[in-house]
Amino acid sequence: MYLYIYDSFLNDKKYVNLLAKIEQRVTDLSIKGRTAKLSILKNMKELITDAVKDGVKTVVAVGNGQTFAKVINIVADLDVTLGLIPVDDNNLIARALGVPSKVAACDVLASRIIKKIDLGKINNHYFFKSAEIVNGAVTIDFSDFQVQPTTEKSRITLHNFSDHDLSPGSNPSDGFLEVVITPYRQTVLGKKRITGTVLPFNKVMINSDQEEEVSILTDEQIIMKTPADIVAVPGRLKVIVGGERDFD
Amino acid sequence: MPMFNKNQNDALPKKIETIIGPSVKVEGNFKGEGDIIIDGVLVGTLETENNLKVGNGAIIEASIRANNAFISGKIKGNLVIKGKLEIASTAVILGDIKTQILSVESGAHILGKILMPTIKISSGIGEHHSAESRIVAEKIDEETEK
Repeated sequence: MYLYIYDSFLNDKKYVNLLAKIEQRVTDLSIKGRTAKLSILKNMKELITDAVKDGVKTVVAVGNGQTFAKVINIVADLDVTLGLIPVDDNNLIARALGVPSKVAACDVLASRIIKKIDLGKINNHYFFKSAEIVNGAVTIDFSDFQVQPTTEKSRITLHNFSDHDLSPGSNPSDGFLEVVITPYRQTVLGKKRITGTVLPFNKVMINSDQEEEVSILTDEQIIMKTPADIVAVPGRLKVIVGGERDFD
Repeated sequence: MPMFNKNQNDALPKKIETIIGPSVKVEGNFKGEGDIIIDGVLVGTLETENNLKVGNGAIIEASIRANNAFISGKIKGNLVIKGKLEIASTAVILGDIKTQILSVESGAHILGKILMPTIKISSGIGEHHSAESRIVAEKIDEETEK
């Protein structure tokens, strides 16, 4: 049985036509199920856990990147399969999974190619794609060694999926995450990236000597603060993927 | 997996598992499962079952164990390389080296002992060559001993 969760922003009139088309396509493909529309009064976690108790095996999130990031944090701890219907065109999570946007996503759902993929976990909060250290100097503690950037400004990201070629080995089903440290060098023409550092890991701790806590932004949504424990959780998410996905 | 190509500093082998860039300092016992490229600073120990490339600008103060290695940076510490060790002209190594196969480019600086597996020249020749060549080999051995 399917549960379709519509994010609260889809209550806006401009989505009425799109949602009608999606519902029609879902009916045509015989993958119709229970529908739940989020609002201020309806809690996503309660809706999903209640539905799972009633026998729902597939939860489909209809929304944007933030919707998916929220749903992933709930379904990762449940025995359900996740499906996505993105309503925007530039959805990084959906793109990595090979899920097209809007009505076309229904066909991917119906084909039911299910993969178990890794998730990252930062202080008990799951992230799907990456976490980025936004500001400040940090030390990254691995179990036996410590890594510290030596340049004043660098971009530090922790990848499960990578959308650029700095981390060619980044694979969401290898059981590892990667720390990618990319320094910026100031030139006449502005900031320039130079060769980066790529370190695979299962577990790290991010610390900072600064008085203020350093922020870590996960999947462009949640802000966490240092000190932070980050672990790779292998095969944590069962998700429906498309043929155009970024991994095997 | 083939050894790192010394002529292609920017070209990476197909699957690079770990890269320590020039803007990073690593301290501790660094152990990698896959290939490792170091262009930054490392202090402690370094161990990999696979290949190691130490780039031009790298500064390492550590004992190193690797399968194969290509060194063009500065190392203070002993190296134990299971297979082939290539030392480029820009390399500076202050420490003992133990390896199976060694290649040193002119200009490289090494301060330390180099240990390689012992090969007995005389017994090798004697087993496969004529009595005449065995006598020549024995003379070479005698002169070498003098």
